[in-house]
Amino acid sequence: MRWCLSILLFCFLAVAHALSSSGNRLLVVLEDADDKGLYSTFWGDLEARGYDLDFQSPKSSDLSLFKYGEKAYDHLLILPPRSKGLGPALSPKNIVDFVNKDGNVLLGLSGKSTTPSAISSLLIELDFHMSSDRSSVIVDHFNYDTISAPEKHDVLIVPRPGQLRSDTKDFFGGEGVLAFPTASPHTLGDDNNLVAPIVRAPATAYSYNPKEDAGSVEEVAATGSQLAIVSAMQGRNSARFTLLGSVESLQDQWFSATVKTPGSGKKTPTANREFAQQLTAWTFKETGVLKVGKVEHSLATDVELKEPNPTMYRIKNEIVYSIELSEYDQDHFVPFEVPTNDALQLEFTMLSPFHRLNLEPSGRTANSTIYSTRFTVPDQHGIFSFRVNYKRPFFSNIEEKEEVTVRHFAHDEYPRSWKITGGWVWIAGLWSVIGGFLAFVVVWLYSAPKATVESKKTQ
Amino acid sequence: MADSPVDALLKGSSGRTTRGMLRIIILAIIAAAAVSSRLFSVIRFESIIHEFDPWFNFRATKYLVQHGFHSFWDWFDDRTWHPLGRVTGGTLYPGLMVTSGVIYHILRFLTIPVDIRNICVLLAPAFSGLTAFAMYLLTCEMTVSPSAGLLAAAFMGITPGYISRSVAGSYDNEAIAIFLLVFTFYLWIKAVKNGSIMWGALTALFYGYMVSAWGGYVFITNLIPLHVFVLLCMGRYSPRLYISYTTWYALGTLASMQIPFVGFLPIRNSDHMSALGIFGLIQLVAFAEFVRGFIPGKQFQRLLTTMIILVAAVAFLGLVVLSASGVIAPWSGRFYSLWDTGYAKIHIPIIASVSEHQPTAWPAFFFDLNFLIWLFPAGVYMCFRELHDEHVFVIIYSVLASYFAGVMVRLMLTLTPIVCVAAAVALSTIIDTYVLTTPGPLPRAKSSAESSSDGLRSTRGAVVGITSYVSKAMITVSVAIYLLLFVAHCTWVTSNAYSSPSVVLASRLPDGSQFIIDDYREAYYWLRQNTPENAKIMSWWDYGYQIGGMADRPTLVDNNTWNNTHIATVGKAMSSREEVSYPILRQHDVDYVLVVFGGLLGYSGDDINKFLWMVRIAEGIWPDEVKERDYFTARGEYRVDDEAAPAMRNSLMYKMSYHNYHNLFQPGQAMDRVRGSRLPAEGPQLSTLEEAYTSENWIIRIYKVKDLDNLGRSHNNAVAFDRGQKRKRATKRKGPRVLRTE
Repeated sequence: MRWCLSILLFCFLAVAHALSSSGNRLLVVLEDADDKGLYSTFWGDLEARGYDLDFQSPKSSDLSLFKYGEKAYDHLLILPPRSKGLGPALSPKNIVDFVNKDGNVLLGLSGKSTTPSAISSLLIELDFHMSSDRSSVIVDHFNYDTISAPEKHDVLIVPRPGQLRSDTKDFFGGEGVLAFPTASPHTLGDDNNLVAPIVRAPATAYSYNPKEDAGSVEEVAATGSQLAIVSAMQGRNSARFTLLGSVESLQDQWFSATVKTPGSGKKTPTANREFAQQLTAWTFKETGVLKVGKVEHSLATDVELKEPNPTMYRIKNEIVYSIELSEYDQDHFVPFEVPTNDALQLEFTMLSPFHRLNLEPSGRTANSTIYSTRFTVPDQHGIFSFRVNYKRPFFSNIEEKEEVTVRHFAHDEYPRSWKITGGWVWIAGLWSVIGGFLAFVVVWLYSAPKATVESKKTQ
Repeated sequence: MADSPVDALLKGSSGRTTRGMLRIIILAIIAAAAVSSRLFSVIRFESIIHEFDPWFNFRATKYLVQHGFHSFWDWFDDRTWHPLGRVTGGTLYPGLMVTSGVIYHILRFLTIPVDIRNICVLLAPAFSGLTAFAMYLLTCEMTVSPSAGLLAAAFMGITPGYISRSVAGSYDNEAIAIFLLVFTFYLWIKAVKNGSIMWGALTALFYGYMVSAWGGYVFITNLIPLHVFVLLCMGRYSPRLYISYTTWYALGTLASMQIPFVGFLPIRNSDHMSALGIFGLIQLVAFAEFVRGFIPGKQFQRLLTTMIILVAAVAFLGLVVLSASGVIAPWSGRFYSLWDTGYAKIHIPIIASVSEHQPTAWPAFFFDLNFLIWLFPAGVYMCFRELHDEHVFVIIYSVLASYFAGVMVRLMLTLTPIVCVAAAVALSTIIDTYVLTTPGPLPRAKSSAESSSDGLRSTRGAVVGITSYVSKAMITVSVAIYLLLFVAHCTWVTSNAYSSPSVVLASRLPDGSQFIIDDYREAYYWLRQNTPENAKIMSWWDYGYQIGGMADRPTLVDNNTWNNTHIATVGKAMSSREEVSYPILRQHDVDYVLVVFGGLLGYSGDDINKFLWMVRIAEGIWPDEVKERDYFTARGEYRVDDEAAPAMRNSLMYKMSYHNYHNLFQPGQAMDRVRGSRLPAEGPQLSTLEEAYTSENWIIRIYKVKDLDNLGRSHNNAVAFDRGQKRKRATKRKGPRVLRTE
């Protein structure tokens, strides 16, 4: 009985292994069924991680991203179409709706064919910009593969990307080099926080249109590391959209290829397979997904009596706020550690922040870290909110907001008059007047009754 | 002429009791008439709270009944003035709510379960009955004529000037405040007449109640000192005056300071300084009177002159220094606008924007007071003929109140009581003179003998003709006709002008049947039932109390206009372009925006007609960003059609009002029935808001504020994309290329 249960548990674990945090229904849009064989290792890797692959042609009539108003797949992988567009089921609007409904998309492009204008206009909505001819490739005369592209210089060899910024976590790092054959270049909008480059072209790369075949390149849209090969976009709902400039890099051929750059003498194997695994894992929400657990705030004083999450505080109260955060790592939640050089911050806001405080880790459970802080409510009544707004590239967004009312002192919460030493003068004055009046009344009543009685009698 | 059984009842000792009985019955009937004439709205519509402010009072009363007095006292209201909140317990006059709460609990104690709403609705009519009684008492102090008090009570009961603020459902501070005003004045007159500490203390007690009930208590605070001052100037100082005034001032000031909203105002605010000054003056005068007894006349004169000069100089200097250093608060804006009617328009648009703060149009006097208004000067003249202390009071009150009523429409309310007194005095004099005068010895000699004035005696001596039956009949009939006309007028005005709840509008269809427009309640109940408990509603401040009361949702601004900047923020959001407004809406957590639009129905009290006030108030705070001139066309016209100014057409208010409106009509035929203009064929486009609800007659339109775009686009781009317009290329930026850095 026990082994039966443990086998069941084991099976369950096996199924659960490397499941994405947001489902396993993956639609692969592939125009030419023959191309499927070129990526067999890639498909195999995905299936091994528990994805349920559904291959469809964009022309297929029963293809639809939605069913009964809900999305029919959790993830979408689009290989570059040869024809002019992706058909009615995958129109830019449908894909945007899919992303808005928490669907994740991995879109591959290729420099070999012209990118359809429908895709280009979709990318503009996401703030990825293609060159105007939409058929350029990235060329670099210093970092190319001398084995496969000795003439054209269009197979880029770049090192595995490291940390994007010092305050982000590295999801795509590792040993080895990556090969990107005929990569289609794109640039990112310059003030958009939702997009982030994963792999940028080397500083010596530029965008070149082989069809025009001009001897020199005039009027370049962008060069060097402004050109991105692989980029990511995360919507405000944390749905992920990854743009891969070179879909060929996922082919079996490049998973196991060895490459050689002009400078170095020795051949090195590519790390494309590991990178593809990292890229799909991130896109399909196996990594970098943050979850907010329990959020608690209460009065810092009298710990026994405190009730959690009251809706009203008073000005100048001492408050303790804590938030529980976990990070999804491949198949389970682990405690989330804020990267070094970064801080998780709490804002106590009414119209503008009155406090912006770093949350410090104060405890840790099996799969979450508890961050907390303690502060004094400002001397201003109103409707405040606790806000934790943690948005970093490659991490899903945390935007926690909870309103509380901060009231004024009630009339009986001020110190009594005799506790204020400065008021003693006035209190003394008050009571001396009262005492004096009473004394006067007593004196008045009992001082001269005889005289009046006598005078009355005499009259 | 009267037959003997009636004579037997009206004369002698049994006659006294009969007359007393009759008087009680008449007063009861007057009270009944006063109550029943205020019930039009309940009968026509239902037992519903009216207008705007009453909705707040009603909500506060419910809070009081539900949570008890203690938490009402410390009430911090987090459902208004989001996100500032309002210290409501300390910024309201609690008298009204506490009165209804007490009545509610008494009825519950007597095991009569009455809904608190019905108590609130019927409180004003109930108190109008008491006002009539207080008016009877006050007038009886003014004249010996037995009919004057009853006439005044009857006038007060049904005059439209008072009914306008006290119909059933008009649950406002004035509902009980007018009773308190009249009664306090009655007690004051009584105190001055008797010079008794008891009456002075009673005056102070009711003055304290008045302070707890209405901001208009300042009227009493200034009128009583003025009365005393005038009496002092007339050389009528007496210990009676001293006792009653000092008792009233000391106790009344202490009583008024118990109200949290008033607090230290009585010793710091300029509005209250006259009472304090007179208090000081009367001490000096008393002291001077005391000294006069010991010092010979010549020295006393010199002493007096020196003292007066010295005291005046010190007092004036003190006032100047204290005002300049800010210890005494400067005069409030509402006070300035009492003296200079143009002041508010220039300096405080928020005060000028309230219709009841506008100067009164002259027909309003006749409309509200009918024939009382021309009896009023006659009554004041009668007071001059006797000129006792209490008559001086009537004269001062008349002069002041007439002026204030001319400046501000709402102050008609304070004029009404004294008009009733004066008119009753005048009319009763006429009736007494003509009806009761007999050729022989006067039967009313008993009553008028004590106050035998030269005036009356002279008329008595001179006139011969008035004792004839013809003149008597003529006067009686004409007075009766006037009185009947007055009753008819009052009923008509009450029924037509003052009994509309203004929450529900009634109009007549061509066939004469009634057509009820219930859009307000429809929309508020939609909000109540379809939005989250905490959804913040932004609207112009007029509707804040109603949204709080009927929809039970937090609002940004309401009719308690305590924070001009916050109102200006709302005004700016309404009058700016969407790109400017949207960040304001986000910052204030606004979920829904509510506008009132009368274009379809021809309802003129809508937001487009109030729009210029929003612009003006916003301009007061942000003169660089909002300019009133921009909302007019080049020729200075305020238009909403094709030729409307660009700022007007791009404003959020315009867009919200006319969004989708043209779809109701044939292309190019869209008409605005309020402004009477034809609207552009192409309606305005909204990108940051989406229509959530529009009521049946389009009077209320509610919009939901969109969240930020999920993909980080601007709302304009997102809406364009949803409409199917493809952006071929990214919008080209001017200037040097910007590199993206991480």
